[in-house]
Amino acid sequence: MSLLEVEGLRTGYGALPVLQGISFSVEEGETAVIFGLNGAGKTTTVNCLAGVLPVWGGEVRFDGKKISGKDAPGIVRAGVALSPEGRRVWPGLSVLKNLELGAWVRKDRHEVAGTIAQVFGYFPRLDERKDQLAGTLSGGEQQMLAIGRAIMSRPRLLMIDEASLGLSPKLAQTVFQVVSQINDDGTTVIIVEQNVGVLPYADQALIMEKGALTFDGRGAELEESGELRRTYLGEAAAAAH
Amino acid sequence: MLMALDVVAPALSGAIQGAVYGLLGLGLVLLYKSNRVFNFAQAEFGTSAAFAVLFADNGTGPLPNLPLPLAVVFGLLVATGLGLLTERLVVRPLFSAPKVTLVVATAGVTLLLISVQGFLAGAEPSVLQPLFAGDVFDTGSVRVTRQQLVIVLVLVVLAAASALFFSRTRTGTAIIAVSQEPTATSLVGISVTRTSSLTWGLAGLLGGIAGILLSGSTGFVSPGSLTGLALIPAFTAAVFGGITSLPGAFLGGVVIGVVEALAQSNIPKDVLPGSGRVVLFVALLSVLLIRPAGLLGKEA
Ligand SMILES: Nc1ncnc2c1ncn2[C@@H]1O[C@H](COP(=O)(O)OP(=O)(O)O)[C@@H](O)[C@H]1O
Ligand SMILES: [Mg+2]
Repeated sequence: MSLLEVEGLRTGYGALPVLQGISFSVEEGETAVIFGLNGAGKTTTVNCLAGVLPVWGGEVRFDGKKISGKDAPGIVRAGVALSPEGRRVWPGLSVLKNLELGAWVRKDRHEVAGTIAQVFGYFPRLDERKDQLAGTLSGGEQQMLAIGRAIMSRPRLLMIDEASLGLSPKLAQTVFQVVSQINDDGTTVIIVEQNVGVLPYADQALIMEKGALTFDGRGAELEESGELRRTYLGEAAAAAH
Repeated sequence: MLMALDVVAPALSGAIQGAVYGLLGLGLVLLYKSNRVFNFAQAEFGTSAAFAVLFADNGTGPLPNLPLPLAVVFGLLVATGLGLLTERLVVRPLFSAPKVTLVVATAGVTLLLISVQGFLAGAEPSVLQPLFAGDVFDTGSVRVTRQQLVIVLVLVVLAAASALFFSRTRTGTAIIAVSQEPTATSLVGISVTRTSSLTWGLAGLLGGIAGILLSGSTGFVSPGSLTGLALIPAFTAAVFGGITSLPGAFLGGVVIGVVEALAQSNIPKDVLPGSGRVVLFVALLSVLLIRPAGLLGKEA
């Protein structure tokens, strides 16, 4: 049984459908990367999985239990956390308060400090700025904080939407390396990315186009096939002209 | 020779009046902090509570004739309930509407509450006895009643308690988090709707406390009386204090009360009629122009 099973998932905005019934699954302990052009429906997918958008049809199972239909608080309680697109840290709260709030659903309050230390281990930059207001952090630091906040709930599945957006290639690599470390430490990961620099970390790769999945395979397979460079980068290059 | 100014007595009575403004201002700040909304209905949560106390104390209509302390509890429950109802019926359906729509809607709630009060009690002012009878001292020129002392004490306690609530408790932090990033807040497991209910319930309660104490102090309550007496000064107090600062609302209230009272008793009526309110507006405008962040203004 896969940790996450998505079957015929449909959702959209108002009356406008975006996901036309997508199906995929993610294995426990792996890193899955969702590629796709702007507007392909990647954010819609992870937001729907996280309970931010309503499920119109289909079913989502996590660890064998149905989670579709739960609201966002219910889904994070079930063990699925999202670091949302645009980071969305609380700008008027300190780095530390941001992390503490991330642990809202946890019952083991006395162990929260240990997880904060763990986040500071992943991102020493956050430790140096722990009393600073999150709104005064740089874009890269806010991204680290958003990921750190998502780990604070100790999720079994961590989803990160556009981790590298607006970061320098070097900083993006740093973030990818930390995410890979988080994965090695036992958390299953789904990353939404447009940056192919993430490919070496992908156990599984998915490509989305216009609300549908056009590729679902192993990361290495995708890299060898050149599928990504042909379809995704080819289209991107064409769009740039 | 300088003209003799009347200072001590008006400063004292002004500070006490200002405590009422501050009390009403606390609720305004709470809602502004959490919803970024100015709640026009805040004062009417208070007037409604005062009417509820009156009705319960007299055993009006279907109500049992309750002793005053229980009538006060009933009044506070009514005010809390009105806050919760406003949230459920007005605020939540307008959750994704522009803030200005919500502000106008709270003005609608105000008008509705005033008409219901008029329907139930008639337009004439009803007499309300003070909760705490007697004077603390009365020197002839300066008089402080027990009720007034209680108002000041309650304000100090509530301002301190609510400031601690926001800075020290998880729930207080959650309310601030919702105001800054609702989506991210629900993603960490905090129910945005429950937080919103809690905030409006608390605002209703704060409005109720202000309304019952003020009406007991003036000795009367009539439809819309708190809006007429205290809403604008309370708003000025909240802005003066920095609109998101709870101790600021307290400080702002006292400053505004003193300024208003000093103007009233030292500027002759034939020079400037209604000088108290005029000076208040000038103060509000000056704050907005010179220091828009208010006295203690800073976020969270
Ligand atoms: N809030 C919204 N309201 C209406 N349509 C939206 C909204 N957000 C996204 N969409 C539409 O949904 C489609 C998928 O968008 P999105 O999931 O954000 O794509 P991606 O994350 O892959 O760039 C796009 O056509 C976009 O215009
Ligand atoms: Mg996106």
